[in-house]
Amino acid sequence: MAAADLRAELDSLLLQLLWDLEELESKRVALNARVEEGWLSLSKARYAMGAKSVGPLQYASRMEPQVCVCTNEAQNGLQKFRVVRAGAQSPEEVGPREAALRRRKGLTRIPEPEAFSASPNPLNWFGILVPHSLRQAQASFQEGLLLAVDMASLQIHINWGRSQLRGLQEKLKQLELGAA
Amino acid sequence: MLGSAELCFNVDHGYLEGLVRGCKAGLLTQQDYLNLVQCETLEDLKVHLQTTDYGNFLANQTNPLTVSKIDTEMRRKLCGEFEYFRNHSLEPLSTFFTYMTCGYMIDNVILLVSGALQKKSVRDLLGRCHPLGRFSEMEAVNIADTPSDLFHAVLVETPLAPFFQDCMSENTLDELNIEILRNKLYKSYLEAFYNFCKDHGDVTAEVMCPILEFEADRRAFIITLNSFGTELTKDAREALYPTCGRLYPEGLRLLAQAEDFEQMKRVADHYGVYKPLFEAVGDGSGGKSLEDVFYEHEVKMNVLAFNRQFHCGVFYAYTKLREQEMRNIVWIAECISQRHRTKINSYIPIL
Repeated sequence: MAAADLRAELDSLLLQLLWDLEELESKRVALNARVEEGWLSLSKARYAMGAKSVGPLQYASRMEPQVCVCTNEAQNGLQKFRVVRAGAQSPEEVGPREAALRRRKGLTRIPEPEAFSASPNPLNWFGILVPHSLRQAQASFQEGLLLAVDMASLQIHINWGRSQLRGLQEKLKQLELGAA
Repeated sequence: MLGSAELCFNVDHGYLEGLVRGCKAGLLTQQDYLNLVQCETLEDLKVHLQTTDYGNFLANQTNPLTVSKIDTEMRRKLCGEFEYFRNHSLEPLSTFFTYMTCGYMIDNVILLVSGALQKKSVRDLLGRCHPLGRFSEMEAVNIADTPSDLFHAVLVETPLAPFFQDCMSENTLDELNIEILRNKLYKSYLEAFYNFCKDHGDVTAEVMCPILEFEADRRAFIITLNSFGTELTKDAREALYPTCGRLYPEGLRLLAQAEDFEQMKRVADHYGVYKPLFEAVGDGSGGKSLEDVFYEHEVKMNVLAFNRQFHCGVFYAYTKLREQEMRNIVWIAECISQRHRTKINSYIPIL
């Protein structure tokens, strides 16, 4: 019966939604823990280095991001977010052009990898010899970033699940009204 | 002349020694720290600090109170006391005070140079400089591109000039070179301060030389620990170690070859003073870090300095103990403002 199939689909959708909600909650708890750890490690770094050595004086007001968030569409039309290192795309585009130049001019120009290497580590803004607590803070915030991106994808999936659930419930109601 | 300190010290410096001992009695006690740790907000902390020697030092601060403002006001108070001592001092105590301020001057120079690298405005940077390290040529520091420029154009008239001999180079000041400049300047400064105390002789040398030896060795250990996994080579690292400590020369040579914490610990095991310190370091994020253990040992040595009379070391010890107290208060304030109270008792009690 169509109604029985619909009910089975509704059940599995509900279970998936509850599963996603539980995962979102656990990721939120983990994100809060990482952010708290990160801030405490920054305080520890200030204890070791001096209160004015880890603060707004050490970073520029305009900075290049190390990671970017990319979106792509999955098969069901949903957007998924993923984290990508900034500047990772460029080397492949420049390569062939370099070879063409070499052929034309006959000069062996060495491509400069430095221009396209990863952006400098923000840890260096605080000096080269930074205490372990500052590195720990960086690691905590990086993990937190990945968790935040996962949470955003999950949130979209949950919203989609809820709208699907509502749609199915409407359809079921129509079916039952029609049968009655 | 034997025992000259007991005969001559009080003539020129007796008043100031009495004053600094009085100030030392105003350091926070264990009971004060227990009160501070129980505060729920920074406003509570301010109220509790009013009952101590700090008094109304935060009275002029506008809401909201931040940890940074508390730190700035505490520094200003310490600077006021220090300037009072310095303005009333005679030789050789006044030279001793000048040596003490050189450390802060080096920090200020590095702050200004790295701020220039980040294109910060000079006014912002000057506002954040340590007041004890003020010198008149500070505004001009950010125009220099290389250490030689910095020396010839700016610092040649300041007390930092003699510490520049090993630092002259034409390399542009990027992050690595700034770090190297900072450590080389500090190494020259520490060695010069040590020689000054040693030449002074008497009780001052007996009290200050072990303290400065520990400072030199501490720097060597911390530089080594923080250099693991960075682009600093072993030879470059060895050039940054101050040579006025107990580790010189054998320990420093071994330390330069260390590649991880365990190897560093094995070097420290050769020295009776440092072996128990390294054993007290907790593993992972649970226990004490090496910096904590070193701070505790420094506090112990500085408190012991007050057991001897008629020497300049009491002024150094008082300043360092005040700084530890400031670090403690800032740590407690950060734990309160972040509502993360598990580690709030990790301060180092002094009295």
